Amino acid sequence: MAAQKHKYSILLPTYNERRNLPIITYLLEQTFSQAGLDWELIIVDDGSPDGTQTIANQLIKAYNTRGAGGERIKLKPRAGKLGLGTAYVHGLQFVTGDFVVIMDADFSHHPKFLPIMIEKQKEADYDIVTGTRYAGDGGVFGWDLKRKLVSRGANLVADTVLRPGVSDLTGSFRLYKRAVLEKVIKATESKGYSFQMEMMVRAKAMGFKVAEVPITFVDRLYGESKLGGEEIAEYLKGVFGLWYKV
Amino acid sequence: MTRAQQTLSIGLLLSSMYMVAFLGLAPIPETLQNDLIPVLPFWAIVTFGAYLLAKLGYGVLTFNDVPQAHQELVKQIEQARVELKKKGVEVD
Repeated sequence: MAAQKHKYSILLPTYNERRNLPIITYLLEQTFSQAGLDWELIIVDDGSPDGTQTIANQLIKAYNTRGAGGERIKLKPRAGKLGLGTAYVHGLQFVTGDFVVIMDADFSHHPKFLPIMIEKQKEADYDIVTGTRYAGDGGVFGWDLKRKLVSRGANLVADTVLRPGVSDLTGSFRLYKRAVLEKVIKATESKGYSFQMEMMVRAKAMGFKVAEVPITFVDRLYGESKLGGEEIAEYLKGVFGLWYKV
Repeated sequence: MTRAQQTLSIGLLLSSMYMVAFLGLAPIPETLQNDLIPVLPFWAIVTFGAYLLAKLGYGVLTFNDVPQAHQELVKQIEQARVELKKKGVEVD
């Protein structure tokens, strides 16, 4: 039986990530070449005013080669901030791989976990592999007590109300089979924070097999974090909305 | 079945069971009927609340810190900047 050739497409929505983008691209390239895996990076930039697209084009010149499979990096921008969900839908059109990776551009999600997630997926042909900060030897860096409390509290609320069966529901570092991602996104309605959560809850409800891999989450080195009282209210609305809908 | 439907169904089931006991419709020994049944809901809520709090506290206490990951990352960023500059990519 011929071995199946897999290709891993990274979907990276960006907004003002000119400092993080080159580094994350470098790390991705390193990781995938060392692991000997076929990959591509699709950058969906929402019209960043800070010149993210200029950097993206420089990266394209630096990393893409002619010939089959040489187009490693693709820039597929949009005119403005149109939301995370639609960014994924937009990016998915250009995916040529059979697996899609969702992650953050600010190295809170380190590409070194991708080979681990890929191995995990092969173990039992999982539909989705998600990173967890809460289980095993996962963890965080740069979070004070308050931040940890909020994070654990939020996860506990979601866990109790939704009983999803994954330890890190709000995480957004995931490997999907391409067809699975397409199906789940079609069914997802939320915007913002709830979006990632809803995708996982819906995926579980649809009966997809999900595995978890502990990851370390290093909080933003460049850029500010967006967490406030308003976000918390939004989050609770999201959780209970899902409780009602799914 | 949505999670809401699930939760509400279980809630309804437990409430009916409790009402049967509360109204004395089931054969329950006297001491239980008089001392336990009336306070059962409050006891259940308090226990559940305490359980959640304990879970939260435990979760925060066992939340792994990973300074090595940070250090490793900082080193890799430096490497990245050197390599990228060579390839003509702006890094600031």
